[in-house]
Amino acid sequence: MKYAILVTVLVVSLVLAGCVQQPEEPAGEIKIGIVASLTGGASTTGLDMWQSAVLAADEINAKGGVKVGDEHMKVKLIQGDDETSREGGVKAVTKLITEDKVDLLIGGFSSGITYADSVVAAEHKVPFIITGASSPVITHRTDIDTSYFFHHCPTTDDYGESTTLFVDEIVKPAIYARFNFSEDRPLRMAVLYQDSAYGVGVYEGIKKTIEKYNLNMEIVAVEKFKMSETDFRSVLTTIKASKPDVLYPAAFLNEQTLIVAQGRRDVGLNTIYLSVECNDDPDYYTGVERWGEYSIQESRFGPYAIPSGPIRSAVEKFKHDFEAKWGAPPSMMGASTYEGVYIAAKAIENAGTLDKEQIRASLAELEMPQMVEAMKEGKITFSPDYRESKFELYMQQLLWDDAVGETRPKIVWPESVKETDFVLPSWYEPGSS
Amino acid sequence: MDVSFLIAILVWGLYAGCIYILLAIGLNLIFGVMKVVNFAHGELLMLGAYTTFWLYILSGFNPYLVLPLAMLLMAMLGLFIERLGFRPIMGTGKLNEIFLSLGLIYLFQNLAAFLWSTSSRSIRSPYSERIVPLGSIKLPMDYLIIIIITTLFLVALQLFLKKTTVGRAMRATSQNREAAALMGINVERMDMLSFALGSVLATAAGSLWVISGQMADPYMGSIPAIKAFAVIIIGGLGSIPGAILAGLTLGIAENMVPSLMKFLAGIIGFNMSFTAWKDTIAFFILIIILVIRPTGIFGEKGE
Repeated sequence: MKYAILVTVLVVSLVLAGCVQQPEEPAGEIKIGIVASLTGGASTTGLDMWQSAVLAADEINAKGGVKVGDEHMKVKLIQGDDETSREGGVKAVTKLITEDKVDLLIGGFSSGITYADSVVAAEHKVPFIITGASSPVITHRTDIDTSYFFHHCPTTDDYGESTTLFVDEIVKPAIYARFNFSEDRPLRMAVLYQDSAYGVGVYEGIKKTIEKYNLNMEIVAVEKFKMSETDFRSVLTTIKASKPDVLYPAAFLNEQTLIVAQGRRDVGLNTIYLSVECNDDPDYYTGVERWGEYSIQESRFGPYAIPSGPIRSAVEKFKHDFEAKWGAPPSMMGASTYEGVYIAAKAIENAGTLDKEQIRASLAELEMPQMVEAMKEGKITFSPDYRESKFELYMQQLLWDDAVGETRPKIVWPESVKETDFVLPSWYEPGSS
Repeated sequence: MDVSFLIAILVWGLYAGCIYILLAIGLNLIFGVMKVVNFAHGELLMLGAYTTFWLYILSGFNPYLVLPLAMLLMAMLGLFIERLGFRPIMGTGKLNEIFLSLGLIYLFQNLAAFLWSTSSRSIRSPYSERIVPLGSIKLPMDYLIIIIITTLFLVALQLFLKKTTVGRAMRATSQNREAAALMGINVERMDMLSFALGSVLATAAGSLWVISGQMADPYMGSIPAIKAFAVIIIGGLGSIPGAILAGLTLGIAENMVPSLMKFLAGIIGFNMSFTAWKDTIAFFILIIILVIRPTGIFGEKGE
């Protein structure tokens, strides 16, 4: 009897199922793996990258998704938490590729982690748009096939070149005019870098630029420090003794804050402090206090300054939408990851297929307008040699703002996006004449 | 190298030494009384700094004024850790104690990252732009305050341990736990007290460090904790005068030796940077002391 009831229920169910309208086959979707540090030391940046990617995917999906051949596909993002470690990165990328079967990867924050986990992407020939790691080695290495990697993030070579050219073009003339130095006198630069691939990369970028453009500059002191160092007084005293005109630290936020504060307050090194873009962060302005006034920061996307020119409204909209969705402003890495999702969408649309080789070829030929970060010639495209997109990096000077009781950045270079002129402070002391 | 540079290095070393001393003495108290090596002591420094940061942001008061409240809250956390963490496993083997404290490191780091994110946080001292001229050098007011506060802590601690009944009971427990218990001392209460005091001193170290310009983040305790271990081993396990001497020595050596090495390398024609060797110096001193005097400068046999 029990079996008869069960069979009846089953038969009735099947009949009813045949009578009702079947739901449509789910539309195809583009699966994108976002590789970010969602836990561990870099989780704040990692979360920002993820949230930016979600914002981009939501925007794309709200407009109907991506046209792939004859079909419109939604973008589906899948998290790959690298746990801020190499091992975590390898694990996350392996899972995204082998279990989640993603069509493409975006993200990668630390150069060290990306160096390790991108090996898996190369082995499986999965396109990887790298939006965080700054070392040029990622796409320059020869031990693996890097042809699937597309670097949408300035490299340490780019940092060094932009900053050094700015010093030569703007800071040097200001110093020489005030102190009546002869044009023959080389500008005296001191470099204090973190003993890591990042720090070494920036230092190499400076040297290459001086040589490439034959600049009249002399590196009068080169000092390095261990990551997370907190006491720079002795090394800054040594640097002061070398009489530099400018000091270029290649440091992370917590290190740069201390270098500037200890240099100005404790050591009396009253020079122009330069800085790498990762320090364009609200915590830096709070931490460095008044000691950061008149220092220089290379950047491409920051919390306060917005470059003049064609991308201004796009930046404002992105910041507004991000803050409305997540309740906090986006970071630099978030901006490039946001663009990364649009780059992926455009490349897939151009390819008209989810075939990875076709997507790779489409990325290599991609040309699309700049979005929320200023690009060279106003467009996002990847160089034929190492598949690097080229950013229009800008330099900003920190000026005191009484209204907030902190410094705020103003863009001073290049001419195309600048807000104000560079100021050589009254307390500035040059190196030897 | 001129004399003013050497004086400046001495003062910077003194300031750095104060932070090491505060942290190391707390570690020493816990080890002395409980014979427990608390590897998570650096995380107490970190949580102490965040507690001060949190009170400072909420109240808007002078951070030096909210420090006592932060120390009180951290003392309660110390009691909590001892009561619920270490006491149940006391006497069950050193490995259990080690793994418990290692587990606490991850627990506290992740808790801090959850509560305050991994972004660096700073506390703005009202005296950050004040400089005290001291002969040829300019001493930031905050460094002077830290040196004075550390001195007051050390004097108060010495008076507490030497002149009060509870302090003497702590010393007795430290010297011989079983005999102290037989003499009617509540050794478990001494354990709780030592953990609370250790947490208070770690809070002072972390907070003063951040107030004087250091950035707080969930991982800030790791390096100071390693240095504090070096300090107590160099000074002698359980010895407070040893921790003071070793803390000052380490603070000054770290500042002095890289400059001295660069100077000497320059004499023989090598232009090298030795700043990245700072942490190596602490352990180089540690090895030398252990080879010459395995019990540390003020350590006693059997400790």
